[in-house]
Amino acid sequence: MKLIMRVTAVAFLCLYVPYAAQAASSPLVIYTYDSFVSEWGPGPQVKEAFEAQCDCVIEFTGLEDGVSILNRLKLEGKNSRADIILGIDTNLTAEARATGLFEEHGMTLDNSALPDAWEDDTFLPYDYGYFAFVYNQELLKNPPSSLRQLVENSQGPTILVQDPRTSTPGLGLLLWIKKIYGDQASDAWAKLSDRIVTVSKGWSEAYGMFLKGEADMVLSYTTSPAYHIIAEQDQRFAAAKFSEGHYQQIEVAGLVKSSQQKDLGRQFLQFMLSERFQSIIPTTNWMYPAALAASKLPQEFNALIDPSPALLFDDKIVARERKAWINEWLEVMSK
Amino acid sequence: MRSAYLVLAILGIVVLLPMAGLLNLSQLPGFEPQDLQFWHSAYIRRVVVFSFWQALLSSLLSVIPAVLVARAFAHTGDFPFRSLLLRLFGIPLVVPSVVAVLGIVSVYGSGGWIPLGRSLYGINGILLAHVFFNLPLAVRLLLPVWQGIPRHHWQLGEQLGFSKWHRWRYLEWPALREGLPGVLLLVFMLCLTSFAVVLTLGGGPKSTTLEVAIYQSLRYDFDPAQAVILALLQLSLCVLVAVAMFRFQKLPEVEISISSQAIESQNYRSLLNWAVIVFAGIFVGLPLASLLIDGLLGPLGRVVSNINIWRAAGNTLMLGLAAALLSNIAGWFLLRGSSELANQGHLKQAKLIELCGSVIYVVPPLVIGTGIFVLFSDYVDIFEWVYPVVILVNAMMGLPFVIRTLGPSMRQNRMRYEYLCHSLALDGWNRFRIIDWPLLRRPLGLSAALVAALAMGDLGVIALFGTPKTATMPLVIYQQLGAYLIPQATVTALLLLGLCLMVFWALERCIGGNQNA
Repeated sequence: MKLIMRVTAVAFLCLYVPYAAQAASSPLVIYTYDSFVSEWGPGPQVKEAFEAQCDCVIEFTGLEDGVSILNRLKLEGKNSRADIILGIDTNLTAEARATGLFEEHGMTLDNSALPDAWEDDTFLPYDYGYFAFVYNQELLKNPPSSLRQLVENSQGPTILVQDPRTSTPGLGLLLWIKKIYGDQASDAWAKLSDRIVTVSKGWSEAYGMFLKGEADMVLSYTTSPAYHIIAEQDQRFAAAKFSEGHYQQIEVAGLVKSSQQKDLGRQFLQFMLSERFQSIIPTTNWMYPAALAASKLPQEFNALIDPSPALLFDDKIVARERKAWINEWLEVMSK
Repeated sequence: MRSAYLVLAILGIVVLLPMAGLLNLSQLPGFEPQDLQFWHSAYIRRVVVFSFWQALLSSLLSVIPAVLVARAFAHTGDFPFRSLLLRLFGIPLVVPSVVAVLGIVSVYGSGGWIPLGRSLYGINGILLAHVFFNLPLAVRLLLPVWQGIPRHHWQLGEQLGFSKWHRWRYLEWPALREGLPGVLLLVFMLCLTSFAVVLTLGGGPKSTTLEVAIYQSLRYDFDPAQAVILALLQLSLCVLVAVAMFRFQKLPEVEISISSQAIESQNYRSLLNWAVIVFAGIFVGLPLASLLIDGLLGPLGRVVSNINIWRAAGNTLMLGLAAALLSNIAGWFLLRGSSELANQGHLKQAKLIELCGSVIYVVPPLVIGTGIFVLFSDYVDIFEWVYPVVILVNAMMGLPFVIRTLGPSMRQNRMRYEYLCHSLALDGWNRFRIIDWPLLRRPLGLSAALVAALAMGDLGVIALFGTPKTATMPLVIYQQLGAYLIPQATVTALLLLGLCLMVFWALERCIGGNQNA
């Protein structure tokens, strides 16, 4: 038995060796979502560019998604290690503000590319996008031209969507339909449900299944076709433009109140709105940068559909109604 | 026996303390528990009923055919590629759920080899995926039952002119009755806690499991108290099933048999057995084959030349092996205690110990992880503890696998050699070296391989704590999928499977010895 004990002890010691060598200086800690920090996301380039000008070190912590970032901060409360959180969206900002864990940014968004004026004192946007149904132009010749047409044509295309309980796009569609149909949202879902092939846990499952040909359309972003055009030189995919407009998602960052280096934090937020950071966004996060002139976007982005008007609920309404609306959705979809 | 109780105490602390931490959180300002009326909601009732039925159906559909397949393997003896095939049967355990979903869709989707069209989504898809995951596992767990039937029993059967039915009735069924309930329970737990597969292939929110409800309450709702209550509900559902299973289980009478050497090949080869093996091989092989083809057609070079993939592979390997080691050590002490108790006639206590270790799997890692975070983040820098916590949680999740694989052999060994060891005053290390190791290394090898595969495929806890330095292969696969890099993700998944196959081979070979799997 002693041998086994020894082996275990050695094994555990081995685990710790890499940590002993870590530097003890205090880096700028940024909580964000995992796909931001992955080597295919904006993280590595952002880190390099900012470190070159700030004489500091950025430490990213990649969590599952925006909700996880906020929950982590709630759990840590005033003892959080984070200086900045980056990656929650406007569906969560009201809840995040209510925690009282954030410091006002005290900055102005000068060269905003957002369709509407930005009036949030706590959070600053870094990118935004619109939900849309993406389809293969060779396989679907007549995509619906409005949300109403998609919902009400019982012979319409089959779709793949995500679950609003577990995914951001799923919640986006829920709000989109609510925005258009209001009190009739339940009826709309009932009409749509026959053509919903499945409701996946997350975006990846649905998009992967769409590429395998499981449905005519998939709920994604208006910018998704840009990926196929730029990275794969594949022109087949397009987002269907809906005449009512597209529901918007704005991703924001905020300064944590308990941070010991708020000046550095503000410096990062400034950098986040600079052209250097903003021009990294389109081809790594595949979203629209929030503060970059349209002329500076990759030209392929100009070929994308014009999603206006942008649809968005006030964040306080989302915070208040989300649970009830999800329950309403559950009620219809579980039949 | 003391060590068994120690392991149990540690388990209790690791599970209950984090839950208490989460409940305590609800007392703090800002965390007012929301309506605990949710008990009465039709939603939770529906979720509980659905979770239970889909898990029961999935586990019966996995385990009953697995008995036939394992029997066919046992009766057919050695044939070319047999051990490779059996090792492939350990692989589905490691496949991340999103990859498995895409594999199932490649085979049974509307553009697949066996198109089921829209009827795939719903209970069909759930069952297909669960049988794909669990039938091979059940085969691996049940096969040793046949190897455990002593040679002289078969010989006696021959002399008495046993028919096939008699062999089944008097030789195989009694042996199965010891192992089958445990395997059923294990598969039931795996299906009960299934999440992404059920949601995505289930066609919509009517296919919601308790695990989804727990996830939901710990995330958007952020209501830890509700999450803990739902987790306890899931645990009690599982305990109920476990108790039912253990009632059905019949431990073999104490017997002292000279021959411990199981018969390797019974050579009851028949066309039917071959057909069963081929069919099972195709069923398990098809989704894996689609993955293999997609992976080989994918950007192989770009993935293989990426140093970060190999770093993640190293992390994954290390986590898998460490979890396997820890889990087997804990399982060893737990089982030693329980078999000692059984030997002394305290069957109830023995079963209770095993039960505690067996049901641990259904406690959601998300709940434990969050709870551990709440408890310790004030005192230590939790980021430096990511690896140990992940290993601990994975080792715990692996414990039921260890109990299943190692338990029966351990008990038999105790029964056979207890008195001998007493009279020879063999104890401690010597007893392990001389008595236990030679006979138990084979099940140990299998259980180590299974726990390693389970831990290597795990995403849950790493994603919860998250930091880029600890990327594992499942995490990289999700990152690639999130960045539209679906072909790359398929290649990475293929590498993960290859790595897992190697680990299976190495562990079964090095620990299990130079015998057939």
